[in-house]
Parts: sequence; C-alpha cells; structure tokens
Amino acid sequence: MRPMAMTGRQRPAIELSSVVKDYGRTRALAGIDLHVEPGRIFGFLGPNGAGKTTTIRILLDLIRPTAGTARVLGFDCQRQSIEVRRRVGYVPGDLRMYESMRAGEFLDFIDSFRPARRDAAFRAALLERLALDPARRIRVLSKGNRQKLGLIQALMHRPELLVLDEPTSGLDPLVQEEVSRLLEEAVADGRSVFLSSHALSEVERVCQSVGIIRQGEIAAVEDVARLKARSMHVVEVTFAAPPPSRLFDLPGVRVVRVDGSTVHLQAHDGIDALVKAIATQRVLDLRTEQPSLEDIFLAYYTETPAAPAPLYEERPAHA
Amino acid sequence: MPSVFTKSLRDQKWQIVGFGIALAVIGALDVFIWPAYRDALQNLQVPPALQAFLGSDLSIATGPGFLSSEFFSWTPILLIVYAVMQGTGAIAGEEGSGTLDLLLSQPVARRDVLVQKVAATCLGSVLMVTIGAAGFFVSVPFVDINVTLRAITMAMANMLPITLLFFALSLWLGSMAPSRGVAAGGAIGVVTAAYFVNTLANGVQALDSLKYASPFYYYGAGLPLVNGISWPHVVLLLGLAAMFVMLALHAFERRDVATGGGDIDVLGALRLRRGARLRGG
Repeated sequence: MRPMAMTGRQRPAIELSSVVKDYGRTRALAGIDLHVEPGRIFGFLGPNGAGKTTTIRILLDLIRPTAGTARVLGFDCQRQSIEVRRRVGYVPGDLRMYESMRAGEFLDFIDSFRPARRDAAFRAALLERLALDPARRIRVLSKGNRQKLGLIQALMHRPELLVLDEPTSGLDPLVQEEVSRLLEEAVADGRSVFLSSHALSEVERVCQSVGIIRQGEIAAVEDVARLKARSMHVVEVTFAAPPPSRLFDLPGVRVVRVDGSTVHLQAHDGIDALVKAIATQRVLDLRTEQPSLEDIFLAYYTETPAAPAPLYEERPAHA
Repeated sequence: MPSVFTKSLRDQKWQIVGFGIALAVIGALDVFIWPAYRDALQNLQVPPALQAFLGSDLSIATGPGFLSSEFFSWTPILLIVYAVMQGTGAIAGEEGSGTLDLLLSQPVARRDVLVQKVAATCLGSVLMVTIGAAGFFVSVPFVDINVTLRAITMAMANMLPITLLFFALSLWLGSMAPSRGVAAGGAIGVVTAAYFVNTLANGVQALDSLKYASPFYYYGAGLPLVNGISWPHVVLLLGLAAMFVMLALHAFERRDVATGGGDIDVLGALRLRRGARLRGG
C-alpha cells in the first residue's frame, strides 16, 4: 500500500519502452524498459558507464534514442520536448555553468525561461537553506557550492519532476541531509524525483524505489524496503563456548568464518530461524548488520570481474 | 523569449567595444596622417595587387584611394575575427565548455537558441561598425581628404555582409564539428584561402576568374567608398549567410549534444568511445 497512490496523479513520471542508444558501433543502451511512478523518489543505480547519464539525457532531448520511445509525465521526450522541459528540473552529472556570472544572475537567467513560475521567495529560501551567497561569481565557487547552485536552479521553479544526475557529489554530509529533506518535501508536495547515483548509501537513504542499470540494461527494479527485507543479514555472535557444529545447519544460513567461539554468519531468507538457533546457546555478544544495498548491489554484479572484493571471506557452511 | 539574446549580447560587449574602438582609432589615424602622405604618394609605384583592388580609375594618391587601401581593404579581417569567435562560440563553444546541457534542458527550442544568438551577433556587428565609424566622424570634418561622411557610412555598412557570412559559416562548422577548435580552424582556413584567392586573382591575369569564388571580391569590387554599396553583391553575401544559418540550424536540431568536459576533442571522443566499449557500457 503506497500513500502516493492517493495523490491522484495518473501519468507515470517516466516511461521508457525499448529505448536503444548507439554511439557509432558502441551500444550504450540495449533496449531499456522502465516505468517510474509519480510521487516517489526513484533511484537509478549503476556503475559509471552503465548508461545512467545516457538515459537521463534522452529524457531531456539532449540526445536522441536510436530506437524506442521515452515519455515524461505523459509527454513524448522528442516530439513534445519543450512540454517535458517546462515541467522538469535538471541537474546534469557534469554540471557546468557560466563562469563569469554571479550565482544570482545565473538563477535569473534560468528563471527567464519560465517567467510564469518565478518564485522569488522560494528561491531565496532555497539559497538560505543551502547557505549559498547569490552575489558570488560562479568562477570562485567550490565544487560543493556549484552543486548547490545546480540544485537550486532545478528546484526553484517547483518542477513536477526533478531529474538529478549524481546530485550530491561534492556535498558534505550535512548539506546532503538538507538536500534529502528538500527532495522529500518535493515528493510530499506531489512531485517526483528521478535520481541517478553510483552511491548506494545515497539511494538507500533517499529513495523509495530503485532501478539498477548495468551495461545498458535494466537489471532490476525494486522497492527499496522490500529489497532490504529480502536481502541478506550479516550476523556476528560470540558464545560462551564453541557451539555445536550442526547448530547453523539451517536453510538460507551460511557460516562465513569461525574464530573459536565467535561465528560470522549470513542469513539470506530472513533472520528468524537463525535467532532461535542462537538462543539455544549461552550468548555473550550479538551483532547484526543492517543489510546494505551495497551487498544487494554486489549480488547483481557477481559475475562482473570489476566488482569489488566481497566483505567476507567466502567459505561453504560446515567446512 | 529574449533571454538568450540578451545574455549573448552581454557576453560579447567587450569584444564589441574593443574591436569597435580599434576600428575607430585606426580609421581616425588614417584620416589624420593623410595630409602627410598625400604628396609622397603622388609618385609611389603601387603594387599591382593593390592597384587591382583599387581598380584602374582610382589612385592611392586620392583620399578615397588612400582610405580604401589603408583601411577598407583589410579591416574586414578584424570584424571576421570577431565573427569567427562568435560563430564558433555559439554552439561548439558552449558545448565544449559544457554549458549547453543546462541551456538546452530549459523549455526553449534549439531553433530559438540559435536564432537569438544570430540576432545578438547581427546587432553586435552593427554596434561594432557604428563605433568604428565614429573614428571617421571625429576626423574627416577636420581634414581635407575629399571623402563625404555619407560615403564613409556606406563603406562601413558594406563591411557587415561579409562579416555575417563568415559568422554564419563558423556557426555552421560549429554546429557539426566535434569541438570549437576544429570549427575555428576550418573557418580561419576558409577566410585565409578566400582572402588569398582574391588577392592572387587581382594580381595575376590568368587567374582572374578565380576571384568570383572569393567573398572578398564581392566585398571590395564595387569600391563602396567611391561608388556606394553594390546591392547585388550585398544580396549575394547575405544570401550565402542565410544559407549557412539554415544549414547550421538543420545540423544543430538533429544531432546529439555532447556532454561537457571542456576538452572534448576528436581524440578525446575516440578515447571515450573506446573506453565505453572496453567497459561494455
């Protein structure tokens, strides 16, 4: 049951069907289908080069798909691209702005394309909340301040859809928190957010749904909460004495390492049976780690040689 | 929606003022030094190429002849430098510096962006030539040079069509080339070849018909300072300019915008492409 279903917006925020993009002989997108519901923060997750930016730039008609169709808020991204862009706030992954302008001048310039949606008070509030001085020239802004300016220009006209390509790169954690709050407020206001990231922690913290893209294909689209519930738990338990060897012979449970009376485990199908098994022994210490999207993410990439080494040494149970 | 126009004009204000003042200073100096040169030039053996530019019935030892050879024969090059800067900057420059992404993600048609930038440079050229003409307006009335201000105005205005032609050519090259450098290199190559062809054709009888291939012929052949503007030539130059603007629009509306990066060049693009293939993504 999703509360967003009650906002009454029927059109999907984003609809991609069989979108292919070739650069010469290189296939960047190999037929992507994606349906993003409105009123949510959707995380678009994938490593660099997977096709995140290519997908986003097709939405804004900066590049044209080789095949397939893309729609944003019901509008065709190519034939009705101005209608799309009128309703979208965009932060490019490689954010470049006019260096010689002052931050405020730049915002004026962006505002001039949507005169009807100009909202000086909201803009001033955004500048205040992100602590950005509009009198400063873009040339002298730090990476983080540039990123803030990029976010403000995307947010200030209250677009129906925010498309953010790696929006919090270069921001310190406190500002990231503020940005998360801004995005949550936008969603509470009935808007939608499409956020690409290679930072799992960010998607995990901010997004309600996640689509994983790899090598130009959508590998999975999942509800973040469901994904986490279904995913592996990491458990470290220290017993008063070394436990019986068959104690953890349970479905979905794997012993990773045994150090005397301390056992490192992974539980893949929920944690209930494991907890009950542990409880039959005298326990000195118990730690479980929140399943992180990192682990889930790695599961989708196990056959990729470039994937980072696993956090735990792999060893079959009861070896 | 005039915001791109306004910004574009503001971005080039120092170029307009700088190049305009340069024209004005050179023009005024030429006028003021004319009395000192007048007698010396009477017996000067004029190089054939220069005499060809001036035509058989105009001597460099007359006021109009002197200004035509000392000013109007080469100052269009100054304006064309500006034109190439603007033409290659409009699309290729913004693309290379990465700002085109945010600009084109606004609710504005690519056609409108281009048209506004063209309009800004048209106005910029007019302003520059106006500033340049001021140099004559403050000097000609005080010197016995036998040139009317009306003739000066015509000759100054006559520099606009060739300027706009090379602007439009640069715009077109910039709408297709992978980088501003490539576009500017191509445009400067064409300008140089056109200037050289015209000079060569003027000096060498056998190559005479080659001159029709050079825009500089249509710029100078009518001797505008003496005869006023040659409208057929102006129409031809402006027609070609319009054609290149249409070609630029056609190319720009249909193609992908490269991601910014400042240094996306041909080699860089190839490297990126190869990298993408290696990653398989």
